[in-house]
Amino acid sequence: MARLPMVPELLKQLFSRPATNAFPSRHLPPSVTGFLAKVASGEATIHPPVPTPPKFRGKIVYDREACIGCTLCLKVCPAHAIEFIPETKRIRIYITQCIFCSQCNDICPKDALHMSPDFLLATENRYAESQIVE
Amino acid sequence: MTPDIPFIIIGAVLVALFGIVIGLFLMGFDRIVAARMQARIGPPITQPFTDIRKLFAKENVVPENAIPWMFNLAPVLALASAIVILLYLPIGGFTPILSEGGDLILVMYLLTVPALALVAGGFASGSPYATVGAQREMVTMIAYEFPLAIVIIAIAWKLAAAGIALPFTLASIQANPIWGLVGPLGTIGLLILLVVLLIVTPAELSRIPFDTPEAETELAGGILVEYSGKNLALFSLTQGVKTVAMASLVVALFFPYSLAAFIGLAGISGAVIDILFFIALITLVAFVSVSVVRVSMARFRINQVVSVYWVYLAIAGLTGLLLVMADQIIGVI
Amino acid sequence: MSAEKTKKTVPYTVPIGPVHPALKEPVMFTFGMEGEIVRTVDFAPGQTHRGIEWMGMRRNPVQIVHLTDRVCGICGIVHSISFARAVEQIVGIEVPERADYIRTILHELERIQSHLLWAGVAAHELGFDSLFYLAWRVREESMDLIENLTGNRVNYGIIQVGGVRRDISDEQRPLIEKGLAYYEGLLDQMATLFLEDSTIRMRCRDHGFLSEDDARKLCTVGPSARASGLNMDVRQDYPYCAYGDLDVKAILPPAETGGPRGDVYDRIIVRLLEIGQSVGIIRQCLDAMPAGEILWEPKMAKLLAACKKADGEAIGRVEAPRGECMHYVRMAGKEAPESWKIKASTYSNLMSWIPMLQGEQLADIPIIVASIDPCLSCTDRVTVVRDGKPDILTKEDLTRLSREKTRRLMQ
Ligand code: SF4
Ligand code: SF4
Repeated sequence: MARLPMVPELLKQLFSRPATNAFPSRHLPPSVTGFLAKVASGEATIHPPVPTPPKFRGKIVYDREACIGCTLCLKVCPAHAIEFIPETKRIRIYITQCIFCSQCNDICPKDALHMSPDFLLATENRYAESQIVE
Repeated sequence: MTPDIPFIIIGAVLVALFGIVIGLFLMGFDRIVAARMQARIGPPITQPFTDIRKLFAKENVVPENAIPWMFNLAPVLALASAIVILLYLPIGGFTPILSEGGDLILVMYLLTVPALALVAGGFASGSPYATVGAQREMVTMIAYEFPLAIVIIAIAWKLAAAGIALPFTLASIQANPIWGLVGPLGTIGLLILLVVLLIVTPAELSRIPFDTPEAETELAGGILVEYSGKNLALFSLTQGVKTVAMASLVVALFFPYSLAAFIGLAGISGAVIDILFFIALITLVAFVSVSVVRVSMARFRINQVVSVYWVYLAIAGLTGLLLVMADQIIGVI
Repeated sequence: MSAEKTKKTVPYTVPIGPVHPALKEPVMFTFGMEGEIVRTVDFAPGQTHRGIEWMGMRRNPVQIVHLTDRVCGICGIVHSISFARAVEQIVGIEVPERADYIRTILHELERIQSHLLWAGVAAHELGFDSLFYLAWRVREESMDLIENLTGNRVNYGIIQVGGVRRDISDEQRPLIEKGLAYYEGLLDQMATLFLEDSTIRMRCRDHGFLSEDDARKLCTVGPSARASGLNMDVRQDYPYCAYGDLDVKAILPPAETGGPRGDVYDRIIVRLLEIGQSVGIIRQCLDAMPAGEILWEPKMAKLLAACKKADGEAIGRVEAPRGECMHYVRMAGKEAPESWKIKASTYSNLMSWIPMLQGEQLADIPIIVASIDPCLSCTDRVTVVRDGKPDILTKEDLTRLSREKTRRLMQ
């Protein structure tokens, strides 16, 4: 006899809440930029993304004051995402290049680098202000 | 009663509109309930309408290897023939527009026309995937035709045995709900036949598990692989209209009831109630035989499709037919 | 067999790939068909060569571990452990015991998520999308756990030469326990859904057959080999990390299910059972995990200096979810390794496709191709281009080239 063990499971799911997290909104808005503008003006709300865990490795934060320009971070960065600026003796990090390994955080003697939980980083311009940390 | 030409034309346009709108609605409904069964949210119900609008705005690409006239003609033919089927089927208690000229046998043959158009389009695309898809579509067609014929013959035979004139016309089936004519044994037989027809439906509509002609994972859309833009939109509309047609056929054969007559409404409100009731019925049929079936199993191989129809469903159909006959004989004695 | 030759002997050919819905990763197949039956099989990998070894040979080991995370999109940890073990052997590093246990836990979590991912893909290839969604949904639990333990969902960045970069804290233990309990409760359901479904059985039983003999001859590894009855598993045969202390036995299709038969169905069984095995291994690890350091040398500068001084070669082997994975590293007193070679598990499994696919139907190609759980981006280490056109190297060419290269390395 043919067995279809999936059927009861499917019928159960038909009457339970969908598992999808409706981020950023339930259905694709007609215009994404329009939707974001509405969110900014408070007319619409964004459904939040799944929360990140405590030690998540997101966009890098750089403490310019603490840095001493030792360039150790350049030595371990696998993605060559860090550039040393000789004039200011400080570094510049290109987020589009960074692979979020946090190896630079580990090596920095002055604890000047940290990872933030920020992960919504997509833009259309690699050199946008949000994509460069210095 | 010979309906005059203007009546037919207006009726046909209305039925075509009805078929297309309800067909797209059924497709949207199917996508939502399938998504819910898979614990997803699914698209909004208007998604098929949006898709069609977008496809119509796009360019038709005719592949280099294709036979252009056949390639472009196939989708038009498919949609037109699908709509013609609807003209022969009773919709919401109304007598079919072309009830004079045709009967169940004609409907059965008409049902193959959109599929044949699809096959022609597939062969005309000149792609190996579409060719394999077209071959499979033909095999599938031959496979499900047999059980479908058994169901139709069983019902017509029963009507004839019950002494009803013109048993093959849909009007007489409409007028004499089949369940009232049989005893307990016949009821079991009819239930089996209903199941057979519900399983023929997904094959007629090329849905999982019988979607071997399109088989996304191996043939990348098979028969439709080369279609794009307006032609693809026409095929999508055909798919919707065919869903309405198949569901209407199931309803016409097995559930030719009218809610308005039951609650004693007449006139315009009765007609509206009846149409809504009819839509609810075909939605239910589509839910069972398209949505539930397609999410609950894996795709069959083409030889398995054939054995399912020729062996299992044919046996089931014949059993149903025999039960209905036995019931008739017992009833007579 | 070349495509031209194939054309003459069979009625028609069907090309599948390099980009096709049946393939989740690029490889180019040419099937010689007779009706719906596959007569000849030819495939050309090398469609997604990224030159990752070349990049590695210009970086120091601390940088390379993060590159190894990205060799494969699914086995993030397998390549890192494999590479780290090779370097550790060259430099003579003894990995702290606690680090070995943490590596083992993550390694097994990765196996759980990889096998569930595969189960979903297999269901999709069969046209059974509901099961695909279900498998991927329950996979999220392991992904969340991995993200919590390592900081990232996919490219974990947890392995370091000489240990691991993050400890498992006492707060994280209950999370792991919760995840394990979730999967223990789920195993029976998954087994029912996959193994008792008639449509799946119809499609998979006795299809994609690979005999034990062929598996041995073609050097098949991992679950694909075990499904054909080969009792092999690096974790059992050459224990690494903490596996030596644990109870790990290669999983073969049990006799109750009629196995091992070496068909697609057996491969499903092996992988589902391995999910249960992984849960058990993590349990054992949690119980036996000693306290202590997690890194041989927490100061990266010192570690790099030690690596720079090292001279020698070594191989790191691990049992990836897809089978044995191997990294060969040779260091010669420089920052960057002198040579680095990756042999991904799929590389050994590719040839098994040919006996599996011959004589099967066109409809079975997707599931059979998926049944070895191919990962082409880890496998493609070379692509041959001559005068701007792809070219083919024969066995003789390859032997000659390998000898030349070995000589170069020996100098
Ligand atoms: S996180 Fe990794 S990739 Fe990003 S800047 Fe730091 S070292 Fe480089
Ligand atoms: S390692 Fe730290 S202190 Fe040194 S350059 Fe980088 S950020 Fe500055």
